[in-house]
Amino acid sequence: MMRAVFDGVQRVLNAPALVAGLYLATLGAVIPMGLALHESIDTQLGNSLAADRMADGVDTVWWDEFTARSTGIERTFRPQIIGFAAVLSNLSAMADNAPPRGAVAALVIGYLLVWAFLVGGVIDRLARQRPLRGAGFFSACGHYVFRIARLGVAVGFVYWLLFDVVHRWLFDDLVRMLTRDLTVERNAFLLRMMLYALFGLLVVGVNLLFDYAKIRIVVEDRRSVLGALLAAWRFVRRRPGATLGLYLVNGVLFVAVLGAYAVVAPGVGAPGVGMWAGFLTGQTYIAARVFTKLVFYASETAYFQSELAHAAYVAAPEPQWPDSPAAEAIGRS
Amino acid sequence: MSIGGRCLAIVLTATVLGAGLIGSAGPAAQPSPTPERAGQQAPASSVPLDARTQSPRNANYSIDVTLDHAARTLTGREVLTWRNISPITTSELRFHLYYNAWRNTRSTWMRGRARGRGLAQHGRPEADWGWIDVTRMRLLGVGDRLPIDLTPDMAFIAPDDGNTDDRTVLAVALPEPVAPGATVNVEVEWTSRVPRTFARTGSIGNYYFIAQWFPKIGVLEADGWNCHQFHTATEFYADYGLYDVRLTVPTGWVLGATGREQRITDNGDGTSTHHYYAEDVHDFAWTTSPDFLDLDARFEHPDLPDVDIRLLLQPEHAGQADRHIAATQATLKLFGEWFGAYPYDEITVVDPAWQSGTGGMEYPTLFTAGSRWLAPPAVETPEGVTVHEAGHQFFYGVVGNNEFEHAWLDEGLTTFATARALDEFFTPSQMSTRFFGGFIPWVFDDIPRSRATDGNRWAGYRRNARMDAQATPTYRYWPGTAGSITYNKTALWLHTLERHLGWPTLQRAMSAYYDAWRFRHPSPQAFFDAIGDAAGTDLRWFFDQVHGTAAVFDYGVAELTTRRATARGFFEGDRRPVFDADAPSTAGAYESTVVVRRYGDGIFPVDVVVEFDDGHVERERWNGRAQWTAYRYVRDARVSMAIVDPDRVLLLDVNFTNNSRTTTSRAATAATKWSLKWIVWLQDVLMTYAFFV
Repeated sequence: MMRAVFDGVQRVLNAPALVAGLYLATLGAVIPMGLALHESIDTQLGNSLAADRMADGVDTVWWDEFTARSTGIERTFRPQIIGFAAVLSNLSAMADNAPPRGAVAALVIGYLLVWAFLVGGVIDRLARQRPLRGAGFFSACGHYVFRIARLGVAVGFVYWLLFDVVHRWLFDDLVRMLTRDLTVERNAFLLRMMLYALFGLLVVGVNLLFDYAKIRIVVEDRRSVLGALLAAWRFVRRRPGATLGLYLVNGVLFVAVLGAYAVVAPGVGAPGVGMWAGFLTGQTYIAARVFTKLVFYASETAYFQSELAHAAYVAAPEPQWPDSPAAEAIGRS
Repeated sequence: MSIGGRCLAIVLTATVLGAGLIGSAGPAAQPSPTPERAGQQAPASSVPLDARTQSPRNANYSIDVTLDHAARTLTGREVLTWRNISPITTSELRFHLYYNAWRNTRSTWMRGRARGRGLAQHGRPEADWGWIDVTRMRLLGVGDRLPIDLTPDMAFIAPDDGNTDDRTVLAVALPEPVAPGATVNVEVEWTSRVPRTFARTGSIGNYYFIAQWFPKIGVLEADGWNCHQFHTATEFYADYGLYDVRLTVPTGWVLGATGREQRITDNGDGTSTHHYYAEDVHDFAWTTSPDFLDLDARFEHPDLPDVDIRLLLQPEHAGQADRHIAATQATLKLFGEWFGAYPYDEITVVDPAWQSGTGGMEYPTLFTAGSRWLAPPAVETPEGVTVHEAGHQFFYGVVGNNEFEHAWLDEGLTTFATARALDEFFTPSQMSTRFFGGFIPWVFDDIPRSRATDGNRWAGYRRNARMDAQATPTYRYWPGTAGSITYNKTALWLHTLERHLGWPTLQRAMSAYYDAWRFRHPSPQAFFDAIGDAAGTDLRWFFDQVHGTAAVFDYGVAELTTRRATARGFFEGDRRPVFDADAPSTAGAYESTVVVRRYGDGIFPVDVVVEFDDGHVERERWNGRAQWTAYRYVRDARVSMAIVDPDRVLLLDVNFTNNSRTTTSRAATAATKWSLKWIVWLQDVLMTYAFFV
């Protein structure tokens, strides 16, 4: 298991273009909205001295005025975006099933669709452990995209079931029932933590299954998504300790990244070098998140491959990108 | 107070009770405090027996009540000795039956709640609801006359809205009118079910907080009974008196109540009776639970009377005992020094059970605080609510304004003073939020809370500034925003006055008001007069706006221009104007203009500060009346910025961003800094939800 982790880390380290590409995709996705918010803040600060206060620190009076007038993405500009509170607020929103709304929700959906397109190529790259160049990578993405999309239907349904039905039942109905007469907050807190753990276990189990389904689709070039799901189920069922343990180790790595960011996350800060240093710290953290996510895939892929008869086995043919018609014409002449 | 003093208190109490009696009622009819206690341990008198500081003591209760925990019911009997201190004769009595606000969903309280916050309360299970039924009412006889049964003459009335489904006011016709100065003794028996908490009274599990629980007489004023129905946006109003109360609860349960405990009697049937006695209070509340930690402390001050502090704490907050006590002590100290001494010798702090819904409420000599299991030291929980409710002992408890009609007189004054007190003793105070179901606190170390805006709750006010004129009777406020007008607006205009007049003047005014109206019922005008007297100036222009209307204040810098003080035009020549393309200025190289504008309808004098490139500063005084005014400067330096109300005296200004304008804006820098932070947050959102792929 630990071997798979180290192997996974190594595979990701050996794919710097993949890490960089996904990081840049994450950054690129938010830049337009970032510019829009910049414009909005700039406009609302105008020529006021509140701009000085917001530049040098924070002006909660101006912030409140801004919030009162805000619409769209401006509504998400709250103190919770500062430093590590940003991470906690997002995790908390997910755990409490309070997904983003409006434009941010649209962005998240778009981003997930991009990931759905890329994930086949990502796993393919990590499974092959060698560069495929851009053409090969995107060829693999295209090769698997419809299978991943079919899997996505199942993924979407199951997560909807979990978050819209199970979560609602656990955290609304059950919690209300169990805590209605509780007079000790600590007990309610512990109960909630237990429910987070229970719900988290369900989500992790589903996530684990879907991870191996994706891996089997790619590594074994499975065309049947249902077959891949069943195969993933058999794989996990026969190796529950190893697969869950591997997931746990990856989880620890994720927590370590969060912990490190909690220590260095910038606060309100000041303009100038400090502002850019803070942004750089944030980007390093985001890159680390991308890295961690890839290590999840890589280590699970490595583990799956290590369990095959031929460890380096990859069923799908190496993608061949054809020359352009012009090149072919020149070649024929 | 010494034992001798206590005995004197009993004698005087008897005198007060007896003086106005129409005649002597039989033993059963006699209000029990005096004779019953005569041979027992003397109660501690809560108020120095100085005639000037005593309350009228015209609504005196002797109550026996039993709590049936299994059935969650109260069975009670009270003897009310009521003296008519109004200038008019009355032929009826009116009682509040507050628990009936939760008898049905058509009560005025429930209708108001639905208007303000929706129908969430309507769906509560049957077991949650509470009510009170008066089973018998008798006018106790005088001399040999037998008691007269008043029960058939009882009728529910709805003086505020005519709601026939509301049963929170009970009127009872009397066989004989009660003239000014006369006294009647009325015996009332009732049963009630304790609700699962509504309006901060009720129970959860084995925690009870019992307030507004007994049939309570209204206040007879010169223009008749002031006995309003229970409304969702208001609290209470009652006359002062003596309360002699025996509370029977399961044995072993800790009990705290208004006043001081005299003794506990084990009844041998699994119940015990706690005997409490309080003087010069206008209400009586109590709490009981087997789970309380019962802690004691003491407030001592060289110039103020000592006060015994009793803290009934939830076990899970055991580590926060010092915070509760320190906040209470700080309140007794600061409010005592600012306004006047706390006149009772005990105060009980109740830390309410989690999700009991009873936190943050004041009652005479007892109040509920409120905390969280995880309460970071830099956050004002539990200090904020503790100071506020302890502060109500002064404005509500001692100065007993009509909360139905002028709730701002106690809530607003206390909010203002709370923010001031916290600013003095609780630092640093940081902004915070909570995650994961509201359980996990997070403190923003670099965002301090400000007294002026956070403490006075400016954000809440500016959102609802126009919802109601403060002079509107509070029970007629729009229920959803009443708090903003009652609490926030008052605190803001008081703080504005503090900055306008200076704290010594305002402190003197509030102290004089406190002294003049202790144990009485002041009107808003009494408060305005106190401030006007202390300030030595007519402030009606201010109170007419902030109290009499929903006027909004908003001053801003509308224009800021600077240019070379030359221009094409006609200039005076030797005999006639001549055209000159570039006439030199005689006064300076630059001509600057600052236009300040009044955007709101509220008027307040403001300063305008104009700063120039060379550091020169001009300070103007604008009376703020015109819609706009312009200042023109011709100097050798360009104007660099202008600020209207630079010291932020006018805290009611709902848009502070437009109060300043600069020629070198750093908005782009600020926008870059904050949008970069937001970008990281948004990236984190994406990475968080990428979990699903």
